[in-house]
Amino acid sequence: MASSISTKTSSTGGSSMHTAKPPPHHSNDAVLYNTTELSTWVDSLLTEFNQPASHFPSTLNLPYSINPDSVNAWTEPNTTSFYETQQIIEEDSSIRLVHVMMSCADSVQRGNLSLAGALIEELHILLSRVNSEFGFGKVAGYFIDALSRRVFKPLERSHGSAHENEILYHHFYEACPYLKFAHFTSNQAILEAFDGHDCVHVIDFNLMQGLQWPALIQALALRPNGPPILRLTGIGPPSLDGHDPLRETGLRLAHLARSVNVRFAFRGVAASRIDDVKSWMLQVDPKESVAVNCIMQLHKLLDDPSRIDNVLKLIHSLEPKIVTLVEQDTNHNQPEFSDRFREALYYYSTMFDSLEACKGPQKWLAEIHVQREICNVVCCIEMHETLANWKEMMDKNGFTPVYLGTNAYKQASMLLTVFSAQGGYSVDESEGCLKLGWHNRPLIAASAWRPNSKM
Amino acid sequence: MQFTQTPPPPLHELTSFPSNINPMNKNQMLRTRQWPGFQTSKSLGSFGDANCMEQLLVHCANAIENNDATLAQQILWVLNNIAPSDGDSNQRLACGFLRALIARAARKGTCKILTGAVDNVHITTHKFSIIELTGFVDLTPWHRFGFTAANATILDAVEGYSIIHIIDFSLTHCMQIPTLIDAIANRLEGPPLVKLTVAGATEDVPPMLDLSYEELGMKLVNFARSRNIILEFRVIPSTSSNGFASFIEQLKVQNLVPANNGIEALVINCHMMLHYIPEETLNPFSFNNTSVSSLRTMFLKAIRSLDPTIVVLVDEDADFTSNNLVCRLRAAFNYLWIPYDTVDTFLPHGSKQRQWYEADMNWKIENVIAEEGVERVERLEPKSRWVQRMRHAGFRGGLFGEEAVMEVKNMLDEHAAGWGLKREEEDLVLTWKGHNVVFATAWIPS
Repeated sequence: MASSISTKTSSTGGSSMHTAKPPPHHSNDAVLYNTTELSTWVDSLLTEFNQPASHFPSTLNLPYSINPDSVNAWTEPNTTSFYETQQIIEEDSSIRLVHVMMSCADSVQRGNLSLAGALIEELHILLSRVNSEFGFGKVAGYFIDALSRRVFKPLERSHGSAHENEILYHHFYEACPYLKFAHFTSNQAILEAFDGHDCVHVIDFNLMQGLQWPALIQALALRPNGPPILRLTGIGPPSLDGHDPLRETGLRLAHLARSVNVRFAFRGVAASRIDDVKSWMLQVDPKESVAVNCIMQLHKLLDDPSRIDNVLKLIHSLEPKIVTLVEQDTNHNQPEFSDRFREALYYYSTMFDSLEACKGPQKWLAEIHVQREICNVVCCIEMHETLANWKEMMDKNGFTPVYLGTNAYKQASMLLTVFSAQGGYSVDESEGCLKLGWHNRPLIAASAWRPNSKM
Repeated sequence: MQFTQTPPPPLHELTSFPSNINPMNKNQMLRTRQWPGFQTSKSLGSFGDANCMEQLLVHCANAIENNDATLAQQILWVLNNIAPSDGDSNQRLACGFLRALIARAARKGTCKILTGAVDNVHITTHKFSIIELTGFVDLTPWHRFGFTAANATILDAVEGYSIIHIIDFSLTHCMQIPTLIDAIANRLEGPPLVKLTVAGATEDVPPMLDLSYEELGMKLVNFARSRNIILEFRVIPSTSSNGFASFIEQLKVQNLVPANNGIEALVINCHMMLHYIPEETLNPFSFNNTSVSSLRTMFLKAIRSLDPTIVVLVDEDADFTSNNLVCRLRAAFNYLWIPYDTVDTFLPHGSKQRQWYEADMNWKIENVIAEEGVERVERLEPKSRWVQRMRHAGFRGGLFGEEAVMEVKNMLDEHAAGWGLKREEEDLVLTWKGHNVVFATAWIPS
């Protein structure tokens, strides 16, 4: 994927010069330009807003421009090879797509929505020239949609029903290793933290069909000295359509626990925002050992860091033996929109690259899950932070790292070995945290924590 | 704010739950996976654990065969935690199977096994020196049983012959022979000429030797000389994968087996080697345009045609030939627990020798579970099947005499109490805690 953005800096340089046409300010009518005219048109358009630059885009001095060196950094020599068969003109168009997308992001940042709108029209035209079924074309399509939404319908939120979201989540879970990595790694830390404890309580901040728990329940059942008494508290959004997915999941897990002779009790806590959860709702017993499991939840509170502090304070007050934290490892929280956009483009290109390599009949549903996320990020209603920043937040709120050990690493390696895609995935250990990535670009990071004795 | 709470429901209220939440979205039904739970009795000590492990391994194998990646991965995750490679004998057994399943599942994804995924990505089996192998083989009745029974009955059969030609198809690289030569040397009559021909099969199955058959042969010749026996040693390179066809061919071409003339005794000694010859479940080869007949059948017919004085067939008593992975896994699990169980009685925990022993076991397990087709060479058949084959090929069972039984019993006394001897009709069976381990059968042309 990223390799399709290759270093063909001369590809657009060969165009003959045309007289620049006056740019239409309201480009609601789709006008078809041929590519050489288009690039010249776009470039000349942008020079109006920037320092004077030559006509040739390779030397455009634009504040947002992706210079050839950084494009180079995106090129991965080992990525799947079918991109190599694309024709020059398609690669050409891909590069232009990136350029124009960045222009559009820049316009959004400056508040020039009419220009942004015009650029979106052009993006649709450019998109028609690339294969949007796979590869970069597909990702570009999603970003263009997201930009479209951002520009034309900024208040509309891209939320499916809770049920739909569950389905997409489920397929994302099945199709690629990211969520499984999150679950396996967290479960390993929890299992090890519970060693020697006979009364344990897991608090899951996003129960979501409880996909994480059967394996842990089974492993606890077969502990050498017998299983502990297990309580599971599952937090999830309130149900609006008469179903009670929390309860259904709880019953299913209870059934499983019984079948493997683990004494088990479940409690569901419905909360639309995780910082609405209060400690009295969790009913933690002082005699039990608590594990708090927080997978892809804390980033939802990034709009207001004090919300995160509140949740972490709550967690701290529960005196857990272990807190497992998994989040995307990227900065989709920059103040400048174009920075955020660029980062997202890189991040999700990598992720889609990895998805391409996965097998599975319903993979397209997993892709929609990611597509929704792209939309949310571009519309600035979802933010992500890097592992380094999460570590700072945890530290600030009185937590010490618990190093994920060799067992966790071994489990993650095993996950990537079996049924896995051509070895593109990689797991790395860094300061006790594990990161899963594609071709050495980490995408998701797992870490474990315990509260400091003094806060 | 809503709370739902589930106190453990009374058993009679449990029903199976629908696997789709919203029946209207048929195209997008959630396949909520049912964890393949199983009836576990409360831990009954080691047997309870072994049952659980077996069931998990079976579920995992099913998941792999059904391409259910997620379930396979989850079960492997559990197994990784309950079957450490340095645990008790059940855990180490399960660990061997776990590795094998990972190897098999890795092939599904066209991904090499990542370092870190299993301890020792490639099972490195030890290359034994002669001394090491001798010592190794002596530690346990596993091979000694077959050696003792075979040698005793061979001695009986070759009485009166002045030339003894032994054809040795053995997994243990002629470890049986020195004792046999010794026994022959102690006969009251004058020393015979002994010819020893080995197939020198080149496949790399454990236990592996660190010297060539030529070198081995020289040592044997020297040893025989020290006992006043003239030993002629010959290697005919051949492979079990084609039923030793070239071996038999060479025997005939070089006229190494003259007709049964009362002077030369022909002994065919098969010790745990014949199960490497492909049988009917591997695409049957048709030889010479005859009806579909396996290489195993062909081989037995061929040795019958040599008109031997006696054939001894010793092998492990289990059935690894099923084409169904789960059946094979069950069969292998319910047999290979024995070597892991016995090893505690003769090799200390953490010793190098134990590592070698278990590495060889892991090699076998991986071969049975992760390989298919011609690569899967561990094709054990139970005694009943071999008996049938031998009868069909024109042999009848010979009796093991009282002497043979006595010798075996004496040998077993040197080892742990769990080992036992059973007579099944004409055959002898080595047992461990009452379970069949190795059988020994003796045959003469009918």
